[in-house]
Amino acid sequence: MKKFLVILLCLAMVLSLAACGGNGDNKTPGGNENTPGGNENTPGGNENTPGGNENPGNNDTPAGPNPPAHDGPVKLMVWGAEEDQDLLKTLIDEFKAQYPDFTFDITIGVESEATAKDTVLTDPEAAADVYAFANDQIDALVKAGALMNLSETAAQALPVFSGKNLDDVVAANGEGSIVACTRNNSLYALPFGGGNNYFLFYDSSVISAEQAGSWEAMLDAAQAAGKKVGMVFASGWYNAGFFLGAGFSVALQDDGSTKIDWNGTSAQGVKGTDVVKAMQTIASHPAFMAVPDNGLSNAIAGGNLAAVIDGTWDAGACRDLWGDGYAATKLPTFKAGDKDIQMGCFSGFKLMAVNQYTKEAGWAIALAEYLTNESSQVARFNARQLPPSNKVAAADPAVTENIAAAASAEQDVYGYEQSVGDTYWDPCATFGEQIVQGKMATDDAGIQQVLDDLVATIGTPVA
Amino acid sequence: MSKLKKVPLAIWGFLASIGGFFAEFGRAFAKGDIFVKLSVIWWGAGYIRRKQYVKGLIMTALEVAIILFSVLFAPQYVSKFGTLGTVQYSTHLDPTTFQMVPNDYDNSFLILLLSLMSFVVWAFALVVLLKNVINVYNLQKRAESGAHVNTFIEDVKTYLDSKFHITLLTLPVIGIVVFTVIPILLLIFVAFTNYDQNHMPPNQLFQWVGFANFKSLFSSGLTSTFSYAFGRILGWTLVWAFFATFTTYFGGILMSLLLNSKKTVVPKLWRLLLVITIAVPQFVSLLLVRYFFANDGIVNTICENIGLTALLRDWGVINTTFIPFLSAPIWAHVTIIIINIWIGVPYQMLIATGILMNLPSDQLESARIDGANKFQVFRYITMPYMFQVTAPTLVTDFVKNINNFNVIFLLTDGVYTTTNTKLAASFAKETDLLITWLFNLTQNYYNYKMAAVIGIMVFLICAVFTLIAFNFLISGDKEGVYN
Repeated sequence: MKKFLVILLCLAMVLSLAACGGNGDNKTPGGNENTPGGNENTPGGNENTPGGNENPGNNDTPAGPNPPAHDGPVKLMVWGAEEDQDLLKTLIDEFKAQYPDFTFDITIGVESEATAKDTVLTDPEAAADVYAFANDQIDALVKAGALMNLSETAAQALPVFSGKNLDDVVAANGEGSIVACTRNNSLYALPFGGGNNYFLFYDSSVISAEQAGSWEAMLDAAQAAGKKVGMVFASGWYNAGFFLGAGFSVALQDDGSTKIDWNGTSAQGVKGTDVVKAMQTIASHPAFMAVPDNGLSNAIAGGNLAAVIDGTWDAGACRDLWGDGYAATKLPTFKAGDKDIQMGCFSGFKLMAVNQYTKEAGWAIALAEYLTNESSQVARFNARQLPPSNKVAAADPAVTENIAAAASAEQDVYGYEQSVGDTYWDPCATFGEQIVQGKMATDDAGIQQVLDDLVATIGTPVA
Repeated sequence: MSKLKKVPLAIWGFLASIGGFFAEFGRAFAKGDIFVKLSVIWWGAGYIRRKQYVKGLIMTALEVAIILFSVLFAPQYVSKFGTLGTVQYSTHLDPTTFQMVPNDYDNSFLILLLSLMSFVVWAFALVVLLKNVINVYNLQKRAESGAHVNTFIEDVKTYLDSKFHITLLTLPVIGIVVFTVIPILLLIFVAFTNYDQNHMPPNQLFQWVGFANFKSLFSSGLTSTFSYAFGRILGWTLVWAFFATFTTYFGGILMSLLLNSKKTVVPKLWRLLLVITIAVPQFVSLLLVRYFFANDGIVNTICENIGLTALLRDWGVINTTFIPFLSAPIWAHVTIIIINIWIGVPYQMLIATGILMNLPSDQLESARIDGANKFQVFRYITMPYMFQVTAPTLVTDFVKNINNFNVIFLLTDGVYTTTNTKLAASFAKETDLLITWLFNLTQNYYNYKMAAVIGIMVFLICAVFTLIAFNFLISGDKEGVYN
C-alpha cells in the first residue's frame, strides 16, 4: 500500500512537470462557435456546370461565386477583438448563408488586435486563417512571412469564390488604408477600419474651439481653470507627431533599421532643434501632464484633464468625463522657431489578414473579403464606432456626425504611413522621457547632439 | 584559499566516476565470453545464453526500436544539422484547388530541435549499450560461480523491493530530461545561431554564427550598446539580489523577535496580518502598488497635498511636479527594494520564528546571568546561531533573487521609461534584471539569440556563486563554536 502511494506521488510529480511546460493558452478561445449542421450539402456538388470552374484568371467578367467542390465541411478559424465577437458571429452567419451548398466549421477566437502579431509569430502555422490586426504590426508580419501575398492569390481566388474583382475591392477603400496594407508593391491585408490615429479631445466648457487650435492657448486656458492637458511624450508613436507635422520623415529600411532625418532641416524649412525646443517648452508648462505610455485611460479616469491627445478607443471615457462639454478636433499647432506648425500623426488602420499557412486559401480569402466589405464596415461602425476605411461607408452621415470619427478623419489629412523598425521604439521613448523629465540639454548644440545620437541609434540594424 | 581548492576536487571526483564507468565496460568486454562480446551488437545475446529469455526479448526490442529511429527518423534532420537547412520556404496558389502549395522547405528550428532529440536518444543508447555489457558480464560471473540466476519474475520483484528506488526514479528522470534538460540544451544551441526577428522559421532559415553573439554582448560603441547594458544590468542585478536577500532576512528576524517578545500585545493578530500579505498573489498586490506610486498616483497626490513635493523641489532633489518613485533611476531602485521588504519579510519571519524556537536556551540563560543586555545577546548568540543554520538558505535566496522576475517586472513595466539612450538602444532599463531584460528581448523583439546568450550568462553567474558560496559554508568545523 505504501509503495502504491509512493508510486502515485511520483507520477503526480512527473505529470505536474508536464503541466507547467507549455505557455498556457495564448489564444483564449472565449467565443468559440461550431456550426456544423447549418447548411445542406446537396450531393452531386454545385448546381453549376460540373467538371470545371469558370476561368479563374478572367478578371474582366466576374461570373458569380463558383467555388470548387469541397470534401466535408470547410474548416476555418477567425480571430477578432473581444468587443467584436458578437459582430463576427453575425457576419460569419451571413457569409455562410451566401454559400448554401457548402458546410462550414468556422471557429471564432479572441485575440486583441493590438497583440495579434505576438500570438501569430509564436507559431505562424498554428495561427488563425483570418485575423484582425493593427497596421503597426504589418512590417513584422510581412518580414516573418506570416501574411499571404494577396496581390497574387486574391486576384485569382476572389472572382471564383465571391464573384468580385480584387481591383474593385482595393478601389473601394481609402487610399491611406491601402497604402498601409501594401509592402513591396504587393497587398498583404485588407483594411476594414481607419481612425486608429490620435487627435485632440477637449472639454469645450474649459477650452474654446479656437484655443484648442494651438498648444500655447490651450495650455494657458487649462492652467486658468486649474486643469491639465495630457499627452504621451514617452512613446515614439505620439512624439513623432511633432516632427511629422514639421515635414520630417520616418522610413523603414531593408535591413530592419529606421531612417529618420530629425537632426537636420525639414522639407518645410523647420530645424529639428526648434521642434525639440518647442516640445521642451510644452513639457515644462505647469498645465502639461506627461502621461506614461498605456496610461491614458488612467489619466482620463483621474478626472484632472481638460484636454488629452488620444484616439477613438478612449472616446467613451472622455465623453463620460466631460459630459456635455465633450468635443474633439484635429491636433493643435505648436510654435517652432517663429512658425506655427500643425502637428502630424501616424495613420492607423485596422487590417484583416489571411494566414500564409492556411489550409483553405480560397475560402480564407473570400471570408476576409466579406468581413471587410462595405456592409460589414457599416455594421462595425454601428456596433463599435470604428470609422470605416471604405469610401462609401465613411461618407455616411452617421460616421461624419460622430465627433471622434470626424476628428480622426480631420487629423488624418496630416497623417503619415507608419513603417518603422524595432530599433525605433525604445530610443524614441527615451527621447520623449528625457524631455519630460527635463534631462535634455536646452542649448542648440546640446539638442543637436541628442538628435544626432538618436538618428544614429535608430538607424542601426539590430545586433 | 584552501576552501576554493574543494571546487576542482569535486569536479575531479565527478569525472573520475565517469572514467570508472568506462573502465568497467572495458574490463567486462575484455574478460567476457563470446556472448558478452556479442551483446555489443545484439543486446539480447547475453540474456538468452543465461536463459533470461524475457529480458533478452525486451533488450532486443529496444535495440530494434532505436535502430529504426536512427534509420527512419533521425537522418532527415541530423544530416542538416551542420547547415540548419538550406531550402527557403516558398509557396504559390494552386489555381484549380485554390490551396497554397509550399515547396519542400527546411525549418531551421525543427532541424535543431529534432537533431538535439536524436543526440539525446543516441547518448541514451550508448549508455544502455555499455551498461548492458557490464550487466551481462556480471551475469556470466554469477552463472560461472554457480549462484542463482534470476528468472524474469524474480527480477521484477527486486525492482519492487531492493531496487525500488530505480523504479521510482525512472519516470521523474525521464520527465526532467524531456522537459528541462532538452529545452536548456536547445536554448544553449540557439545562443550560437542568429535566430531573431529577421530569421524566423518557417519562412526564413537561421544559421550557425559561432561566438558572434557573445562578441556583440561584450562589444561597445554608440550603436552597439549591448556590453554597456550588460555591465549596468549585471551590476544592478547583484546589488538588488544582495539587498533583497539581506533586508528581508534581517527584517524577518527582527520581526520575529519583536512578535515573540513578551511586551507585544496580541502577537497572533500581527502575525495573521503579516501572513495575509503572503496569501495575496504578488500579481495583484504589486500591480496595485505600482499604480499607487505612479507619477500621478495616490502617494504622489498625498505628497503634493502635504507639501513634500514642493519641499523636495526647493531642495533641488527633484525637478518635476511629482516625486518619481518608480520612474527615475535611483528613486526606483530604492522604492523597489523597500517594497520588496514588505513582500519578503513575512515569509522570512515565519522561517526565523521556527529556527529561533530551537535556540539553545542554556546559552541565553548564562548570558543573562552574566549581565549581557539585549543587544549583546542578539549580536553574540542569536545572530551567529541564525547564520549557522540558515547559511545555505541564504545562498539559495541570493541566487533566487538574482532571478526575481515578478517584483521587478510588475513594479516597472509600463511605468518606467529610461532616459539613458544607450540602454534604450539595447532595449534595457536601469531597473532591469538580467532576467527581465531577457524577457523583453524575447517577448517584444523576438531576439531569441541574444536572450539565449544572456540566459547562459545568468546560469554561469548563478552556478559560480552557488559553488563558491557552498564551499565556503560547508566546511563542517563551525558547529557549536560561539564567540
